[in-house]
Amino acid sequence: MRESLAGSFVGTSVKRVEDERLLTGAGSYIGDLKVEGMAHAAFLRSPYAHATIERINAAAAQRLPGVIDIITGEEMQAITNPFVPLGMIDGLYTPLFWPLAIDRVRMVGDPIAIVIAESRYIAEDAIQLIEVDYEPLPTVANMAEATRAGAEQIWPRADGNVMFRTEADYGDVDAVFASADRVISETFESHRHSNQPMETRGSLAEVTPDEVIFHSAAQNSHGLRWVLAMATSSEPVLDSVKELAGPGRDKLKAFGAGAKAFITERKDDLGDADNKGFIHQVRHDPTTLKHLGKVFMNVLAQDERRRPRVVADDIGGAFGVKGHPGREDAALLAAALKLNRSIKWIEDRNEHLTVGGMAREETLSVQVAVNDDGELLGLKVDMTMDQGAYPAVPFGAATFAGIMRVMMPGTYRFKAYSMKAAAIASNKAKYVAYRGPWANETWVRERMLDVVARELGLSPTELRLRNMYGVDELPTKMLTGPTLDVRMSAKATLEKAIEVAGIDDFRAAQAKARENGHLLGIGFSTYHEGAPGPPDYADAILPGSGAMMAEPLTTVLEADGTVSVITAQMPHGQSHETTLAQVAADQLGVAMDQVRVIFGDTAKTDFSLLGTGGSRGGPMGGGATLFAARGLRDRILDEAADMLEANRGDLEITDGAIHVAGVPSISKSFAEVAEVVRTRPGSTEPLTGSVEYDGGPGGWVQATHVAFVDIDIETGFVTIPRYVVVEDCGELINPAIVEGQVRGGVAQGVGAVFYEKSAYDDDANFQAGTFMDYLIPTAMEIPDIEIHHLETPSDIEANFRGVGEGGMIGSPAALTNAVEDALAHLGVRITEQHLPPTRILELAGVIAPA
Amino acid sequence: MKMPTFTYHRPATVAEALAVLASEDDAKILAGGQSLIPLMAMRIGQPEHLVDIGRLDELDYIERRDDHIAVGALTRHAAAEDSALVQTGAPLLAAALGHVGHRAIRTRGTVCGSLAHADPAAELPAVALATGATFIARSTAGEREIPAADFFQGYLDTALEPNEMLAEVRFPLWPDRAGAAVVELSRRHGDYALVGLAAAIDLDDAGTIGGAALAFFGVGSLAVRIAEAEESLLDKTPGAEAFAAAGRIVTETIDAVGDNHGSAAYRNHIAGVLTTRGLAEAFDSIGDRV
Ligand SMILES: Cc1cc2nc3c(=O)[nH]c(=O)nc-3n(C[C@H](O)[C@H](O)[C@H](O)COP(=O)(O)OP(=O)(O)OC[C@H]3O[C@@H](n4cnc5c(N)ncnc54)[C@H](O)[C@@H]3O)c2cc1C
Repeated sequence: MRESLAGSFVGTSVKRVEDERLLTGAGSYIGDLKVEGMAHAAFLRSPYAHATIERINAAAAQRLPGVIDIITGEEMQAITNPFVPLGMIDGLYTPLFWPLAIDRVRMVGDPIAIVIAESRYIAEDAIQLIEVDYEPLPTVANMAEATRAGAEQIWPRADGNVMFRTEADYGDVDAVFASADRVISETFESHRHSNQPMETRGSLAEVTPDEVIFHSAAQNSHGLRWVLAMATSSEPVLDSVKELAGPGRDKLKAFGAGAKAFITERKDDLGDADNKGFIHQVRHDPTTLKHLGKVFMNVLAQDERRRPRVVADDIGGAFGVKGHPGREDAALLAAALKLNRSIKWIEDRNEHLTVGGMAREETLSVQVAVNDDGELLGLKVDMTMDQGAYPAVPFGAATFAGIMRVMMPGTYRFKAYSMKAAAIASNKAKYVAYRGPWANETWVRERMLDVVARELGLSPTELRLRNMYGVDELPTKMLTGPTLDVRMSAKATLEKAIEVAGIDDFRAAQAKARENGHLLGIGFSTYHEGAPGPPDYADAILPGSGAMMAEPLTTVLEADGTVSVITAQMPHGQSHETTLAQVAADQLGVAMDQVRVIFGDTAKTDFSLLGTGGSRGGPMGGGATLFAARGLRDRILDEAADMLEANRGDLEITDGAIHVAGVPSISKSFAEVAEVVRTRPGSTEPLTGSVEYDGGPGGWVQATHVAFVDIDIETGFVTIPRYVVVEDCGELINPAIVEGQVRGGVAQGVGAVFYEKSAYDDDANFQAGTFMDYLIPTAMEIPDIEIHHLETPSDIEANFRGVGEGGMIGSPAALTNAVEDALAHLGVRITEQHLPPTRILELAGVIAPA
Repeated sequence: MKMPTFTYHRPATVAEALAVLASEDDAKILAGGQSLIPLMAMRIGQPEHLVDIGRLDELDYIERRDDHIAVGALTRHAAAEDSALVQTGAPLLAAALGHVGHRAIRTRGTVCGSLAHADPAAELPAVALATGATFIARSTAGEREIPAADFFQGYLDTALEPNEMLAEVRFPLWPDRAGAAVVELSRRHGDYALVGLAAAIDLDDAGTIGGAALAFFGVGSLAVRIAEAEESLLDKTPGAEAFAAAGRIVTETIDAVGDNHGSAAYRNHIAGVLTTRGLAEAFDSIGDRV
């Protein structure tokens, strides 16, 4: 018999369970699905950034053979509800809008009509036949225009074009600034770029006599399900009231009881902040109340056969964009319900580039109060975000502003800090979550530290080392609230990075290369990330939100003796089928192939608000699996103890066989236990282990990135001869998978800084609608990435921290810092994140600015 | 991004192909499809008739004739790239082909297709300009020759009539003491160039520069030659000094058009940098051949 496998999977680079299926073409993506009688949808979209719709004539399109239906804005408004704001944050006004534009388009690509036809070809032919008369309006293409007095207002009920404002102070900011030797200021700009997963968005609304199944490439099936239910349950209110007063009385009661329990449990956390957000919203748009009431009634009264069951299967990447239910999704479902027919919509690349979602367009003015010896004292940040025309559902810029506010000081000993933030509307696509949506806190802070170091004549690493919390100072708290526990090892990652970088050798090479027209640079950046964060992290961002972060998970002993791990996580490239199976297999003492990870179907998985995002897969999914599997193990051992007539405490599991320690010859298999349970008179429920995992002590993931760049000063082309990441994510479940996540993130950071830009012109015309215009780096442009792992020891059981986002959080700062280092002798300061060759030569003074 | 409907013709002979072009109003030749198909998928091009010349093997040839290398309409980039005739007889074309997209694209795309498409950022139109290639246009009415200088008329626009096929392109045989280089900068490996240069230089008996051709692509709506810079090189001793001087003239003269990927100033500057680099490379290549 083999050695026990228990405890042997976690920590090893087990081959990915997913790969055989995906690499042999056996994956099941939305694009692969076909169901009986399936029709196809395409959207007519606005060519204008801002215009009123004067008239739509779809008659000719409607007559085209193969066209089933064309639904335009007004009809869509009649059969749907607006997207009602769910996360109401103080200072945030969220305009109400419907799946299709009704009388006004607010961005290029705004959907105006959905065409349903027998094929996508016909649908696109029909789109060309629809005539729309537009009356162009002045456009708002950028922050300067949005905030200009007299600028066109995109949402009539907003304060100008300002949709969100917030302000917070920590410590005595004025006093600290007054006490400093100097204050150094700079303004930084980061550009719009976008997620661009290999697979675009897409959904199939499958209508069957018994239920409506909404297949979708969605990062969060449950969230999508409820947003869609709210958007499409638009029966007249009176009908809903009648239903709830009569046959549906129990639903109302059950809801009331549930809501009361929820609120009672969390009454300490909920409250003030939510009320303020609600008041702010209703003050701006009193109709919010009416719509909320209607949506609430409708959803409660809804015929459950029309409430979609959401099923997500294989997903070709998302990076955040598929965590936002789309207006197209709601339009698609509404059309399917109207026509009682299954309809599929696959977003094409041009649509995805144009309206799929964009991120990180932010301007941040930073002031640092510092003493001449390099002691950092105070930090002030004033940020403006451009959230585009339509806010992302269910949360967007304002939520990420909250994370930025909390994370901005990093792991440095600032004594005081203030942050102001505003989000403005523009005639551009929506601002969505993109891999570390708050990442500009790291970019701006780490960029600014280099600026400060240079002004003080210190080296960037010296300044960081001098001000960063060392392990001897832990635990402590960030100025903004969250605890930095003893495992917070940001400084250790920096020290290790300095050691492997070989700065002295680099400086020698740098001096030499200059003689040949090559400018070398080195850049550091250090960050920590709340993945999942300490227990006091979420509430520091948004009071009350911590209570909603729990991760449900159920493990089941199936009749054949295999174990199912049923998770609300929604893998889209993170390898959950492998990593969660590793954790479960170790807990249960079974082989990996005895464990199956089940996800994506709201009929099978437990409700979760979040799905996969925020690098929660490892820490929350992994932790939940660990404890749920352990619960199942206990139950299995209980049963086996009876069957073996042994003492429960004497049992152990070896390779899936349960036996008395030291007596492996007499054993019971998982299948035998399952059989006993299944055939027991009276109860046929399988054994399960379930948790609502709150993240336990949680903790931080941290890393230091070191970028080396080589700039050809004749052409402005930048290559990256070396790139180093030193990271500490606690216990590595699967090192190869961790490294894959880190590499992918760094690659996207390289893309952001040197290649990718969702460009608009000054009239908000979109200019990057193909992959010839929106440049994604290929394998040829991405350097080898050297990764070093630190694993701060801990006796915490689920000591997993998330790694999904970090690569992209750390890289823009390291890269832009390296570019500045290369150009510093020319007096160049880098204040923008996007540095294509033209910009490099402009900054270096080789060519005149455009 | 689905194509509109169109009628597909797959003629078995060149005559049949020309007949379709003559009889149908809105007919386009489909060669390798590497430019046309994406345009149709984006519904930017919506021809009603496609005339697929993919089976016309008689158009798939590379021949060395008295004073030129002839390339037929169906000759793929990859076939020309691999051809010894092209390498020795038309080295500037050979130098360009490796820059055209990726190898996979070159196995489908054709030399004549690229020329007929006349993308100003493409390599081959510049090669044709630099070498003074001759275009053979054929229709049911017969055949005519178009010199390169007249062939390219604007952005994606050529002297071909709608009923004409570009049947062949002829590259003059390469002189002995001449060098060729194609240098370009593209944002990513395999991309169309931001700016590129097809450079040819030949030496007279004294070893000074007897002639030079500098054809730039990616700088505007057409590939262009910069005569001032070419002339500045005449009778000069080949070397860094003369090349750099030509580069400066190019930067001052070329007046490139900017876009999101490179400003006008950037492209002007790069055209100069490439001049210096391209001439040096072209000069070095002379030794390779003699
Ligand atoms: C990803 C990608 C990258 C690329 N990168 C580059 C690059 O870096 N540089 C570059 O130069 N090109 C590049 N190309 C384009 C490629 O070179 C094409 O092969 C070429 O532009 C067109 O050749 P084709 O045979 O495919 O023509 P098609 O696409 O079949 O036709 C193009 C046009 O020419 C017309 N046409 C074709 N043949 C004839 C003929 N014999 N007579 C009259 N009209 C004709 C067609 O009607 C059509 O209008 C790239 C293409 C792709 C897909």
